[in-house]
Amino acid sequence: MSFLLASALLFALGVYGVLTRRTAILVFLSIELMLNAANLALVGFARAHGLEGQVAALTVIAIAAAEVAVGLGLIVAIFRHRESTAVDDLSELRG
Amino acid sequence: MSLWEGLAVALLLLSGALVVTLRNAIHAALALILNFLVLAGVYIALDARFLGFIQVIVYAGAIVVLFLFVIMLLFAAQGEVGFDPLVRSRPLAALLALGVAGALLSGLGGLKLAFGKDLQGGLPGALGPLLYGDWLLVLLAVGFLLMAATVVAVALVQPSRPLDALRPEERAQEVVR
Repeated sequence: MSFLLASALLFALGVYGVLTRRTAILVFLSIELMLNAANLALVGFARAHGLEGQVAALTVIAIAAAEVAVGLGLIVAIFRHRESTAVDDLSELRG
Repeated sequence: MSLWEGLAVALLLLSGALVVTLRNAIHAALALILNFLVLAGVYIALDARFLGFIQVIVYAGAIVVLFLFVIMLLFAAQGEVGFDPLVRSRPLAALLALGVAGALLSGLGGLKLAFGKDLQGGLPGALGPLLYGDWLLVLLAVGFLLMAATVVAVALVQPSRPLDALRPEERAQEVVR
């Protein structure tokens, strides 16, 4: 059960990071932390329900890779336009 | 909770706390790598060996290194930038995160789980039939998603015009960037 405890606390740490960090890249790092907390719970549940949990965790890793590619591309593109990655500067939806 | 479990949980939480509190973004990314390596060890201990190695190779090896590249490319190592529009929001954020943790723990605590299913070590030989059987559609969808993400990433960071077509002063600016 200790890994489920660790998973919940890691997810909460990620939430704290998303709420307090002010640059887009660091918010992104906190999101990765939350994804991994969910993965840890999936791997833990696989011990009770079978291998499907591990396959789901594998899928999550692949989706996270796609998300990082798009997200970092967005951050680089925004930085070229605005010379900043601070999320407070980017609160408008126009260039 | 055995000694090793306690040590792993403590290391996970310590490195996670470092990720969300360190001021230098590069240090935060390095703490994230530590977190992922400990997590890979936990996966292997939880009978998910293939996933543990994938965690090391893909997450710690590829994704976080990509993060490090972007942080260095944008000179974005400074974590505290600009002015803070919400002064002293940290205690509030900590309270909210604790609330999330409490909700998750109360949900997980109500589960009656019987651990100890035979997972055959979580090796690729055991995962493959599932991945290419019931999960085939998911696998194909993820492959399509990865291809789309690659195309989007290339299209996003392309300069609006090719470098040859830029005026000299614009080209100088592009090189500086």
